[in-house]
Amino acid sequence: MEKFEFTKEELAVIDEIIAKYPNPQPAVMPVLWMAQDKFGHVEPDVQKLVANTLGLPESHVHGVATFYTQYYKERKGKYVLDVCTSFSCQACGAYDTLHYIEDKLGIKAGDTTEDGMFSIQSVECLGACGYAPMMQITNDIYVNHLTKEKIDTVIEDLKKDKLPEFEPIPLVQNREIAQEK
Amino acid sequence: MAEIFIDNNRYEFEGPTKVLQFILDQGLELPFFCYHPSLSIPANCRQCYVEAGQPVMNRETGKYEVDEEGNRVIRFFPKLMTACSLDATDGMVIKTHVTSELVRRGQKDVLEFILINHPLDCPICDQAGECPLQIQTYKYGPEGSRFEHKKVHKPKRIQLGPRVVLDAERCINCTRCVRFTEEVSKSNQLTIVQRGDKNYPVTAPGTEFDDPYSINTVDICPVGALTSSDFRFKARVWEMSSTPSLDITNGKGCSVDVWTRDNLVMRITPRHNPHINDYWMPDAGREAYKIYNENRISRPDLNIDGDKVKSSWNNALLTIAENLDTVKPSEILVLGSGYGSVEDNYVLGKFFSVLGQEQAHFVPNILAGTGDNFLISDDQAPNTNGCRFLGFNELKPDSINKEITSGKYKTIIVLQEDIVGRNLITTQDLSNVFMVYLGTNNNDTSRFANVTIPVTTAIEHVGSYVNVDGRVQRSMPAKETVYTDRRINLEMSMGRLDHFGTRFDNWVSDKNKVDCIPAWEFFVRLAHEMNKEFQYNDVREIISEISLTNKHFSGVSYERMDNELGIDLVNKQKEELNLA
Repeated sequence: MEKFEFTKEELAVIDEIIAKYPNPQPAVMPVLWMAQDKFGHVEPDVQKLVANTLGLPESHVHGVATFYTQYYKERKGKYVLDVCTSFSCQACGAYDTLHYIEDKLGIKAGDTTEDGMFSIQSVECLGACGYAPMMQITNDIYVNHLTKEKIDTVIEDLKKDKLPEFEPIPLVQNREIAQEK
Repeated sequence: MAEIFIDNNRYEFEGPTKVLQFILDQGLELPFFCYHPSLSIPANCRQCYVEAGQPVMNRETGKYEVDEEGNRVIRFFPKLMTACSLDATDGMVIKTHVTSELVRRGQKDVLEFILINHPLDCPICDQAGECPLQIQTYKYGPEGSRFEHKKVHKPKRIQLGPRVVLDAERCINCTRCVRFTEEVSKSNQLTIVQRGDKNYPVTAPGTEFDDPYSINTVDICPVGALTSSDFRFKARVWEMSSTPSLDITNGKGCSVDVWTRDNLVMRITPRHNPHINDYWMPDAGREAYKIYNENRISRPDLNIDGDKVKSSWNNALLTIAENLDTVKPSEILVLGSGYGSVEDNYVLGKFFSVLGQEQAHFVPNILAGTGDNFLISDDQAPNTNGCRFLGFNELKPDSINKEITSGKYKTIIVLQEDIVGRNLITTQDLSNVFMVYLGTNNNDTSRFANVTIPVTTAIEHVGSYVNVDGRVQRSMPAKETVYTDRRINLEMSMGRLDHFGTRFDNWVSDKNKVDCIPAWEFFVRLAHEMNKEFQYNDVREIISEISLTNKHFSGVSYERMDNELGIDLVNKQKEELNLA
């Protein structure tokens, strides 16, 4: 069985995080992040490690980890496509996008492809309602104004380990000025 | 004194108090789900909405501003407030659903939200009949739901632990159970997982909800989400009658309610008693229903040449009387017990002092290290202190063997103490004495005794029990014996089936009644058989005699025990001194 441990250096960082707060509870989220960065997931054993490191009940850490879709409670693919299906995106066709990606990769939301490259998640609002429908790749870059063509390119690029570039989207009132430039 | 106006009525209050708790203390009604007086206040169910306002004070004059008609100007909070988390302040004005249309609307809409994903299958839900959600929906809820979508489905029948089952769909996420494990039992075993409409309480992966107090979460669950794996789907609340009693499986003696149906104990739930157990009790105490229902001794047993034979009461009385006539008083070992009530032990001691044996003994059942300084004590018997206060000689567990094998005794009388089962003595050592066992359940001692007399359990008689802290409480009859009748004994409670059922109904069975009598009554009969002056007609005569003759019990009566939720016998004198 795989053993999960923090190194001495990491423990020192964790101590610094804990010292910022009056009690160790608020440190759960940053430490879960650290764990996910290190191990790629926060499976129950990792949650247990976090709980023991912070001296908190396991149930508490489990509750926090399951609250956020950004924490991966099971091993995910290399690229996790978080497709927003909250209201604004829904109104702009988020489910069509989601189903298109599902059909394209041959898996359902929540699953991972057999080669371990892609996972799809249907997630709640990512705060990008102005650019709906949109998705986020592995808790990192946003891909906005999704169309079928755009999805095709993004997925082809990801297969070559090429992340899409950051796409600045100006506010509506500034859009004309931006276009002139 | 600070004043508060609730629905145009003026009330006075002292000290800091929350509005909801104050309203409940006045006997008024306000719906709520997540609030519990012994837990923290998260205000997450939003059901206790009220309109709240405070009088406007002129800061320069320091006086309340008044309008043209001379009434105080009230500035209301812009939104509805949750009464559970709102501190009462002087001059506060509260409008509940009684006077405010806005509050009525708020309560209705909150219930509509709570019910969006709640299954509407009350007829098959175990909580139906005692469900705050069901009751409050009837009283304050909307007529129907506007949500025509499919309900969110969540896991059902999750075995959270050995004693608690979760139906996640019914959960309304009030977090009472989570707060209980965090704040009261301190095991921190439960948490709410997921978010939005998918959330429900569960343990961390790989752990189980084996808290020794886990079933309390079932009691405080305001819906049918948490059920006791022992009791679920066994009985409906309206079929049972409940009787106040106490926990007999532990020295703490938690106050409980005993729920019976057709003279079987279906479940045992804690009864609020701030002096002992607050709202809680250990899970082990709820198992006592097995003691009351199963493996009971019914009719006296005689041991004839190694075989246990059912006998008549007269035969048993004659056999014992004959034996007691042949032995000297000093050859009788009288063994009382912390499992028997104060009255039974007292009459046992009194009867044998009439015969000439002045000293009664008992062996406390204290298992060091099993207690937890909360509601589980090391002491296993509910009345160990009662025996001490009655002046019984306390024998060490290893010394009783010596007493009996010394040959001093020819007859031993054992009241409700399983001396063989507790490994205090072997049957070999008992083979030379005549043993009379008065007990409730079949056990190793009853099987070996020469005569076994069935006596009533705590819930078949009135009896007082003194807990580890010296607090005396009494039990009430909840289960009929062959000789009692709940229609005649006004101290027994009646459920719907008891009221309206007849003995010809197919759900009524006589076999649940045990052929047993209280131990004190047996000694009265025995005295009669032996032509001794010894008479009690009623258990009240015994307790008043004890309170007059024993300094520990002075001033004790059933009325006081009922009204004061038990009487503290240890600190009693101190309190009286303070009063003087």
